Amino acid sequence: MLRALGVSALLCLASVAAAHHSAAMFDDAKVVELTGTVKELQWTNPHVWLQVLVQGEGAATEWSIEGGSPNSLSRQGWRSSTFKGGDAVVVRINPMKDGTPAGSFIGARFADGHTVGRWE
Amino acid sequence: MRNAFAGSLLVLLAAGGGLALGRPAAAQSALPDWSGVWAMQGGTIFDTATVQPPGGRSGQPGVRESPPYTEEWEAIYRRNIEIVRQGTFPDPVSTCGTPHGFPRLMNLPDVYEFAVTPAAVWIIAENGPNILRVYTDGRDYPDADALWPTYSGASIGHWEGDTLVFTTVSLKESRDGDVIVDRTGLVLSDAARGTTRLRKLDDTTLEATIVIEDAKALTAPWRVVKRYRKQPAGTWAWDYACAENNRNPVTATGRTLTLGPDGRPIDKVIQ
Repeated sequence: MLRALGVSALLCLASVAAAHHSAAMFDDAKVVELTGTVKELQWTNPHVWLQVLVQGEGAATEWSIEGGSPNSLSRQGWRSSTFKGGDAVVVRINPMKDGTPAGSFIGARFADGHTVGRWE
Repeated sequence: MRNAFAGSLLVLLAAGGGLALGRPAAAQSALPDWSGVWAMQGGTIFDTATVQPPGGRSGQPGVRESPPYTEEWEAIYRRNIEIVRQGTFPDPVSTCGTPHGFPRLMNLPDVYEFAVTPAAVWIIAENGPNILRVYTDGRDYPDADALWPTYSGASIGHWEGDTLVFTTVSLKESRDGDVIVDRTGLVLSDAARGTTRLRKLDDTTLEATIVIEDAKALTAPWRVVKRYRKQPAGTWAWDYACAENNRNPVTATGRTLTLGPDGRPIDKVIQ
């Protein structure tokens, strides 16, 4: 499930992802919430990529969600196992401006209620 | 351009450039302890003292700084700011193939280490990765015909008490966007040189005062201060293999793409 959140409370959430490239492709004034299942976490430089499958009316759509470097994220407590294939998650992102299924990671909430990243 | 560069370097070398060449290296026991892992404070705006709007982030449309540019280079900066606004100002490091260069390597996210030895100080930035080699063994710069403009230039330094003072010359000019100072569109010419004073303010703070001179691009020295905070004991710096999984190639027009997990662009507009 995909839904756009009211942005007023979340406008201040800057993208954490764009350490090595322009963030021009992301809409940092918009926050989208994805409800789906983790396919994999690519724990790689220069960015980690969280691949999330979001079920729509037809086939599931695979979203590519960019995070910081594993170096910086590991110092913030992330691990390569923070997201595992099959995890049910709600993920908030700054989406791509052109509407393609990708975005910049803001935060995530797992089925047991624990959160990662920024989740106010 | 090459002749202009060589000429400016000859003038620098003939004048001694205000540098303390030929000084003997200090003993290790006399050098300050800059061990540990450090992180730059603030975002990646190079000159936070002049950024407008205040608190603006690097790469955000409409954000700019105010170096003392000549009219010609202010016009170049304004053009770059407009390209940023259009979302097509390329960051050359997005290709994962070249260093950030000086002075940008003093302005990076992630962490730093400062290796202090009598003969040299290595400023090691995890991001990039980048290394600035500052020779403090009393050597002189190479002859002008043995130098060429590079991303990080050539740095010679000396110690004034616990302050490392070094001057960086022989820098590469931005051509076709191959080196920038930050993502607001700041660039410098190949006449740029920087003198940096790096010192410990207290147990957890290092401060770099960088004075950029550029006879082509600037009307006056441009002073910028960066600070670095010591990270908790035991903090690790890691390998930053930028090309490991770079899903953001840049097109010939400067547009940064996003690749899907299959390695193909997912962008709707590719130029």
